Amino acid sequence: MLRAGLFPFPPFGFPMQTKRTTFRSYWLPYLLIAPQLAITLIFFIWPAGQAVWQSFLQEDAFGLSTKFVGLRNYVKLLNSPEYLASFETTVIFTVCTAGLSLGLALLFAVAVDRMIRTASAYTTFILWPYAVAPAIAGVLWWFMFNPSVGVLTYALQTMGYDWNHRLSGTDAMILVVLASSWKQISYNFLFFLAGLQSIPQSLREAAAIDGAGPVKRFFTVVFPLLSPTTFFLLVVNINYTMFDTFSTIDASTAGGPGQSTTILVYKVYEDGYKGLDLGSSAAQSVILMGIVMVLTFIQFRYIERRVQY
Amino acid sequence: MAGIKLSAVKKTYPGSSEPAVKGVDLDIQDGEFVVLVGPSGCGKSTLLRMIAGLETISAGEIVIGDKVVNTMEPAERDIAMVFQNYALYPHMSVRQNLSYGLKNRKMARSEIDRRIEETAAILQIGDYLERKPRALSGGQRQRVAMGRAIVRDPAAFLFDEPLSNLDAKLRLHMRGEIKHLHNRLRTTSVYVTHDQLEAMTLADRLVVLNNGLIEQVGRPLDLYQKPASTFVAGFLGAPAMNLMEAEVAEGALMLGGAALAGGLQARPGRVTAGIRPEAIRLRAEPGNFRLDYVEELGGTRIVHGHIGAQRMIAQTDLATELSDEMTAELPGAELHFFHAETGQRL
Repeated sequence: MLRAGLFPFPPFGFPMQTKRTTFRSYWLPYLLIAPQLAITLIFFIWPAGQAVWQSFLQEDAFGLSTKFVGLRNYVKLLNSPEYLASFETTVIFTVCTAGLSLGLALLFAVAVDRMIRTASAYTTFILWPYAVAPAIAGVLWWFMFNPSVGVLTYALQTMGYDWNHRLSGTDAMILVVLASSWKQISYNFLFFLAGLQSIPQSLREAAAIDGAGPVKRFFTVVFPLLSPTTFFLLVVNINYTMFDTFSTIDASTAGGPGQSTTILVYKVYEDGYKGLDLGSSAAQSVILMGIVMVLTFIQFRYIERRVQY
Repeated sequence: MAGIKLSAVKKTYPGSSEPAVKGVDLDIQDGEFVVLVGPSGCGKSTLLRMIAGLETISAGEIVIGDKVVNTMEPAERDIAMVFQNYALYPHMSVRQNLSYGLKNRKMARSEIDRRIEETAAILQIGDYLERKPRALSGGQRQRVAMGRAIVRDPAAFLFDEPLSNLDAKLRLHMRGEIKHLHNRLRTTSVYVTHDQLEAMTLADRLVVLNNGLIEQVGRPLDLYQKPASTFVAGFLGAPAMNLMEAEVAEGALMLGGAALAGGLQARPGRVTAGIRPEAIRLRAEPGNFRLDYVEELGGTRIVHGHIGAQRMIAQTDLATELSDEMTAELPGAELHFFHAETGQRL
């Protein structure tokens, strides 16, 4: 069940076993990795290469001529206040979504971990949102917060808050953060729960005898032991919010009002498919790719070191 | 340091109809080493965990020192526990593992350091104070686990099968160390094990538990020599005592129509008779004992065989000659008699 399989790291104390296989024939190992290589080449390297090439080009408004412009697309982007604003939006969105979904998921996981009888029922319920398609999730929240017919809007109105995510950028941001976190909580919850359950009960008991109350026990023993899981989820969540939230945003706010929920990946789409500025769009995706590579590198290089014990 | 007193302690787990501990009275003296022993499911671990405060007490009272601890948190009971899997904090160094409990109690830095030095010296773990548990061997982890208990200088140590994860040789060694340590520190200790040899060698007083109740309490040798029931008789000693359904008639022990021993004072009637393997005297001349097979222990031999339909195990020295047909003599003074139905000593 949960205990086995889902936890991405080996249990403490036991180093990961590495098995080495020696192939007798020269071409067999290459044949075996060929499908994976093909997928990477066709669906990642090739389009990425196309994007890089495209980012050096500029097309006229009718798509009749294309000319090489060197780094002009990039220069223009970095001097564009709209693009820099989108950067800021992305940072706010990512921090809020990752923070909210990780925090709530951890809270739920700790709560379920303490349950004895009803734990599996709760686990099932908490997992359901993960089965909902992102676009549907976006629409769902859009309906609930709809300024004219939304249930939650009505509730907020009775409390004296005039919710309107079509006019207020802050409201719109809250909406997309909620919609995006909601789905991600299920995923994070599952990993946190598996992580919690792999911590031996006797460790908490030893800490209890050692005079640590429940809160102190959590912060000095349980949470440090969860750090590999937390780190893994942090990487996954940042990638999720930067890329996979596209459909949620498209279905709920479509990047608006104004530019207030246009995160980088949404701007790539908007400038490319709506604005038809393919050169700029390609340059943006190249920058985005660079950001993710740098972030992941930093995470693994510097943070992962601290979470090993 | 303090004594521990258990009065009519019961434990019923939620959702279970039968209690795991069915009313235990036990008075543990200050400085005493008491071993709780019994087969799995007898309630020994539950009892220990109730003393530690890790399980609630369904009924009865537990007193540590002069305080009733029933509703106290584990931390307030002034006990330290050594767990079966050691339960060392894997993300802390040995030093941090030792100091964790002291820091939580807001002890002064200098006093913590002093105690760690002292404990490290006692257990000879000074060389790896800065290592993490994963860099330690099984025996070293075991020592650190004990160190974490010792450094606290608690009223009592609670041991929950602390040696069962070690290999046989190391277990023997650590058993000696625990005994030695107790002689030195004289801290009240409660030790749970299912290993009767560990129980015999460590205990000042032995508590044999069966099915949630105490079968017998006493010094190990007393229990060995005068088991109060067939359960204790069968549990203590390896190989176990031979127990047979037999009859006493006219001062003789009758088994399957043949007299095994004579000149007995026991009351006539059906009994369960017991005899320790080492009390049986085997002779090579053909007689009542049919030899099945022999286990060589080096210094002695364990001889498995039958008397009539009754399985019988005897322990002999190497000088005794063996043959397929032998004579087993059961000295009357070495026989134990138990009630045929209740299993209680007669």
